[in-house]
Amino acid sequence: MLVSWKYRPRNTIIQRLDPRSRLIFLACVILGITIPNIWDIRLIFPLFLITVGLYLLARIEWKDVRRTWLFIFILIFFIVGLNGLLSGRGGPTSVMQDTSAPLFSIPLFIPGTTWGFVLKITIVRVFFAMTQIMRMLSMAILAIPIPYTMDPNIYGITFRRMGVSDKVSFTMDLAFRFLPTLARDLSITIDAQRARGYEMDSLKGGIVARLRRLAPLIVPVTMQSTVTGEEVIDAMDLRAFGTAPRTWIRALSFAPRDYIFMGLGLAIFITFLVFKFVFGVGEFWVPPEALAWANG
Amino acid sequence: MADAPLVVENLSFQYRTRPEVAIKDISFELHQGEMLLIAGSSGCGKTTLARCINGLIPRSYRGKREGSIRLNGKEIADMPLADVAQVVGTLLQDPERQIVASNVFSEIAFGPENLGLPRDEIIRRIDQVLKRLKIEYLRDRETFNLSGGEKQKVALAGLLVMQPSILLLDEPLASLDPASAHEALEIFRGLADEGTTIILIEHRVEDAISARPDRLMYMEDGQVRYLGGIEKLPPEIDHHKVKLPASWVVERIRALGERMDYVPPAKLKTDSDPLVVFNHVNFGYNEEKQVLYDINFQINRGDLIAVLGPNGAGKSTLVKHAIGLLKPTAGQVLVEGKDTRKMSVAQVARVLGYVFQSPTHMLFAPTVKEELAFGPQNLEFPKAAIDKSVRESVETVNLNGLEEYPPLGLSFGQQKRTTIAAVLAMQSKIMVLDEPTAGQDYANYTRFMDAMCGATERKKSLLAENFAATMFITHDIDLAVTYANRVLIVSAGRLVADGRPEDVLKDFDLLERCRVRPSSLLRLNLEMFSQTGSFMPAEKLAQYLP
Repeated sequence: MLVSWKYRPRNTIIQRLDPRSRLIFLACVILGITIPNIWDIRLIFPLFLITVGLYLLARIEWKDVRRTWLFIFILIFFIVGLNGLLSGRGGPTSVMQDTSAPLFSIPLFIPGTTWGFVLKITIVRVFFAMTQIMRMLSMAILAIPIPYTMDPNIYGITFRRMGVSDKVSFTMDLAFRFLPTLARDLSITIDAQRARGYEMDSLKGGIVARLRRLAPLIVPVTMQSTVTGEEVIDAMDLRAFGTAPRTWIRALSFAPRDYIFMGLGLAIFITFLVFKFVFGVGEFWVPPEALAWANG
Repeated sequence: MADAPLVVENLSFQYRTRPEVAIKDISFELHQGEMLLIAGSSGCGKTTLARCINGLIPRSYRGKREGSIRLNGKEIADMPLADVAQVVGTLLQDPERQIVASNVFSEIAFGPENLGLPRDEIIRRIDQVLKRLKIEYLRDRETFNLSGGEKQKVALAGLLVMQPSILLLDEPLASLDPASAHEALEIFRGLADEGTTIILIEHRVEDAISARPDRLMYMEDGQVRYLGGIEKLPPEIDHHKVKLPASWVVERIRALGERMDYVPPAKLKTDSDPLVVFNHVNFGYNEEKQVLYDINFQINRGDLIAVLGPNGAGKSTLVKHAIGLLKPTAGQVLVEGKDTRKMSVAQVARVLGYVFQSPTHMLFAPTVKEELAFGPQNLEFPKAAIDKSVRESVETVNLNGLEEYPPLGLSFGQQKRTTIAAVLAMQSKIMVLDEPTAGQDYANYTRFMDAMCGATERKKSLLAENFAATMFITHDIDLAVTYANRVLIVSAGRLVADGRPEDVLKDFDLLERCRVRPSSLLRLNLEMFSQTGSFMPAEKLAQYLP
């Protein structure tokens, strides 16, 4: 199976929260970091601790989430490594004014040539990397648990109750319903073509050549989906979809804990705005002591 | 007197996109609790009639409609679809495509939700319908993981919850194994007895009659050729187009004086060195889920093997081991003496060619010719050999003149033949067919199977001519009776029987344990075995009766 349900019912405070309050909290955190463009580790670090705390409360089994984390770590390593440590130019690094002396240097040369450069690690760069990692993790750590801890059956109603139309909201549910069907069709087609000697590892050449090599998989799966789509439309029409405002059988209701949670999100958002725009705190920051120490 | 639930008068319809009339001048009336069986081959107009009755025509499918359909006295064209949906519940052929929610409870709730019913009422109705169909245990399950039979019950529950007075069942048995199909028919009968009017569209009349329909409507070319009781069917009903019980076919053949040219499959040979060997094969996707247990058998030259067993028994898993798509977790599979663990799927493909159930899962090329060249190219045949192989396989399955056509634009039967040709072109030694008859109506599938397996006194069958052995996975026990010289029965991951059809299939206790239902043709063959000495189709059996 290519797709398996990641969600599992768990008796945790996180899963008892209304999904709307979780999405609102996530939005508050992302907007709180990005709108005032916060890069100050004194603000990022406490937020990071809060989000780690929430992640632990979700009690997701490590084996379920291992691959996702691996992917996230690789991504962050590349972004941070390439941006912050190596180049130090452009992108998010523009917030950093590096005037500190190098702590140590790593020469990176292709052996036997003079191609390469000397990587200078400075205290500013180290702080920049730490801040950027925590900044990204604070958002990722809130988003990653969602597929594991939010019942796929309530995505539709969640969006409906946040003001999205019946039809668009139900599309969310439909997508979850047909994802495994699509995955199954793909896996049958892969088997069918492999039995005809097709090998996926032999995807060579440029983009066009690769796409041509993928046609034996893409065409049948697209055809299957089209046929399925037509029948699903008939089936939905025959059960009166879209003829009147619909009832959503699954009810959502805010409990006191949801108000507290959303309040916390809002507080983070406002705090960050106030720090940045009232007190002028939030730019990239390195402790002066560390800078003084590094500069000898 | 109250109006009849359904009155159809002089109904005709022509799709806007087609030149010919789809149905012509159809009239009938149904009463409460009546069950009508509608039979006919594809293109006879039964699907169009169904779409007229459930209101998809004229709403979703445009065209010219004449005549009238009244539901409880009201003309259907004047009713909003939401109202029609509460009178006529339609069960589509493939429940997989009818189920729109990820969870059983949400699925059943879907219709009443769309009607905007109050939440308490919806929950009350769901509980009622779960109880009525005895599927309370499925309430919180995910729909994707249900078995075919369970999916259909859930789809049916999703209709019954809207409390329709008429149920329209469009080939409801097509995706079920025979045992589940039989259960479904029992449920339909029960619903009719409780007062639901039922229209059952099915070309497998033999199976459908076990639901004891009150009347049969037989359609051809968009017209009703027969409408009446099921007992004494007139000769207009063509036994080549709908599947009738074997004894009925025998009577018809005798009355019509037809003769059939049939040569039974060659007897089993055991002396050759085997092409494929299964040696204590075990397989599981993980430690908790074992699928195959200690499978041992060989495929020899001259074998025509039918693999029988219910859905989920492990038939496909077993065959996937033969073609190298799966490797055993213990034991070994040898293909021409080599362990499949040491072979790529492409290497195994030179020996075993596999035709998947649905042509749309494998057809992709812009022309038939390119489609057929795909396999040989992957196997790195030289150019000249590819051309020759493609030309010969086009010839063999009779696709002449269609070489430059897009395979996806062909009819279903032609697509099916294209998939066979695609495997032929690879010059594999063993042909493996997964559910060769699925998705085709009776007339098409008998024609297809005759073209593949039919032999005459002078000429071997297409499969026997081109392959050293053939293996087909099927639900259709009649295929095993007519076309196989060896039967394997797989049940709960174990190979429980392996032998000649006449030896294996006479053990009805075994068949019942393995959820394989004996057909009328099997019963008749067993009764007459002392005279015939081998299994054969009903048409041939007729010649042995005095």
